[in-house]
Amino acid sequence: MRILLVEDEKKLCDLIARALKAERYAVDVALDGQGGWALADTYEYDLLILDLMLPSVSGTELLRRVRRKNQEVPILILTARDATIDKVQHFEAGADDYLTKPFAFAELIMRCKALLRRGPMSRATVLRVADLEMDRLSQQVRREGRRIELTPKEYALLEYLASNPGRVFSRTMIIEHVWDQSFEGLNNIVDVYVRHLRRKIDDPFPTKLIRTVRGVGYGLGENADI
Amino acid sequence: MNSRSLSFRLVTWYAGLLTVLFVLLGALTFLFLRHFLEANLLDIQARRARQIAYTLLAGIPGGSEASVAKQVEMLYSPEVNDRFIRITRADGELVYASGFPKDNSFDPARVPLPPLARNGEFYRKESLSRGDLLLAAVTYGASGSARYVVEVGVSNLRTEGTLRQVLIMMAIGLPIGVCFAVTGGFVLVRRALKPVEQIAHKAEDITQHNLSQRLPVVQTGDELERLSISLNHMISRLEDSIQSSKQFVADASHELRTPLTVLRGELEGLAQDQQLRPHTRETLGSMLEEVDRLAEIVEGLLALSRLDAGEANSECVPFDLGELAATTADQMSLLAEDKNITVICDTSPGVNVEGDRARMKQVVVNLLDNAIKYTPSGGRVCLKITHDDSYVILEVADDGIGIPQEALPHVFKRFYRVDGSRSREQGGAGLGLSIVKSICTAHGAQVEVASVSGKGSRFRIKQSLVINTSVHALS
Repeated sequence: MRILLVEDEKKLCDLIARALKAERYAVDVALDGQGGWALADTYEYDLLILDLMLPSVSGTELLRRVRRKNQEVPILILTARDATIDKVQHFEAGADDYLTKPFAFAELIMRCKALLRRGPMSRATVLRVADLEMDRLSQQVRREGRRIELTPKEYALLEYLASNPGRVFSRTMIIEHVWDQSFEGLNNIVDVYVRHLRRKIDDPFPTKLIRTVRGVGYGLGENADI
Repeated sequence: MNSRSLSFRLVTWYAGLLTVLFVLLGALTFLFLRHFLEANLLDIQARRARQIAYTLLAGIPGGSEASVAKQVEMLYSPEVNDRFIRITRADGELVYASGFPKDNSFDPARVPLPPLARNGEFYRKESLSRGDLLLAAVTYGASGSARYVVEVGVSNLRTEGTLRQVLIMMAIGLPIGVCFAVTGGFVLVRRALKPVEQIAHKAEDITQHNLSQRLPVVQTGDELERLSISLNHMISRLEDSIQSSKQFVADASHELRTPLTVLRGELEGLAQDQQLRPHTRETLGSMLEEVDRLAEIVEGLLALSRLDAGEANSECVPFDLGELAATTADQMSLLAEDKNITVICDTSPGVNVEGDRARMKQVVVNLLDNAIKYTPSGGRVCLKITHDDSYVILEVADDGIGIPQEALPHVFKRFYRVDGSRSREQGGAGLGLSIVKSICTAHGAQVEVASVSGKGSRFRIKQSLVINTSVHALS
């Protein structure tokens, strides 16, 4: 999988490239719009990540040019502008996803993966993480075969964590997916729900599945040693 | 009427000055008129006295004193004309004296004798029972027994009567004139000051949220036009400075986002390393938490600068506030439960308001979050919605630690903290209530707070009700 990253902030560009490379993607980098267009025009990419405020050719213009040439390639917009009107304009111009700075890298990676797969992250009816089993149809959760009763919010939280086992989700990501934007900044609500979930999922069992990475967020995986 | 108002003061001054002026003018006119009338009267008398002296007395050497008396009687008939005529010889002998006048205005017998030694023409005024007698005297003849004093006089009763009438006219005319002038002046002042009223009204309507509006400029070419123009200039300078400070906040928050992203990315990358020493891991976590807080502040500031710019009005749809509040309270119930706080939710669906649903939800979230944060374990938080025919009142009350009286006016200010250490421990950027206030202002809602330190706080939001209930079914 080959990704083109156009971002004029050198440090951020390196950081994103490193994070993507760590996920085994091939990453090409351009620091301005002109260079980005030269690359996009020459090679076939599986995903484009564009910053909007770019020197020479703006991200918006680059987006239009790419779309004129190639209708298929998924495009993720990365910007500090988060007004709704901006988002709508760029979605109309052909963007597939929109991420505002500052973002968690985990989220960027997740969104890239989702775009590359071109579909929901996992549509399997039953999700399995170690000995934890989630039935998406009946919304039943079992561990070691024992049924665990969860409230709808706890279920939604667990399902989100289980959608990408081993990955750490930031509180902001969790709030946006499980609650809504009005709860942004209300990080302690995530902590409380995770604590309640832990009481049901982890406390009765010797192996702990829910992982906390201080300052980063929560994840679900077998080596919940932290 | 306000006694300190400009129109009142102007009219009072003006009426006072006018009255003084009228009285002065009246007094002067009166005095001048009296003097003129008397002088005129005396002049006529003097002329007559001269006539008698130079025509009749001149004939004495030929005729007799008695014939002179007869001629005077015949020519002038002083009694009929209410006149006094007396001719006295220098030795005090009366040559002629007129009788009682027809109008009885004076008694001729009581008019004292003139100073016989005096020469030439002279005037005098004798006070009698009714009015004064104005007398003109002329001496004739050289000396000794051939010298005569001719006196002609008339009562001033008639001129006094005229003067009295003038006085009465003035006494009636002056107050009427002043009344007219005051009424006219008042109407004029009111008309002239009407633009001031308009300017004041408009100026009161202009707040920091509608600084683009201007005061009405009255095209009168006078000082008021200049005043309104200079006020408008002032407002535009104010608008520019507020605009640039808003722009600064927006730009600054914007510029902070990229470095924050880099910082967070780098730190996250480090924190994911499994080989870290626990101490390093702790430090990294703490740094990440601070980055989160910074990001939160930046987001809050951006949200506020957007609300200031009036962006909240872009989405204005009717929605059910009762339902919104109930759902939000339900979503946050676990937060309260975790602290062993009871949330009492007294709302009913079907209370429709207009606005941006997501932003109004944030208001409820922020208020509930605050209430839960500052209520100790075992306390109660009450969310209540009441409404009458035109307004909805959303109330969030708690029995928590409350807000000290002196801090109440400041709680909606940005970054204001009642007690730095206490609230910072609870997290948050110190912008929650400013955001609540800004959202409410953008929605035309009023927000107020009441609190007793140690007993709890109550926040109330008052917003217009949308009467049309069918929108509920649509949404």
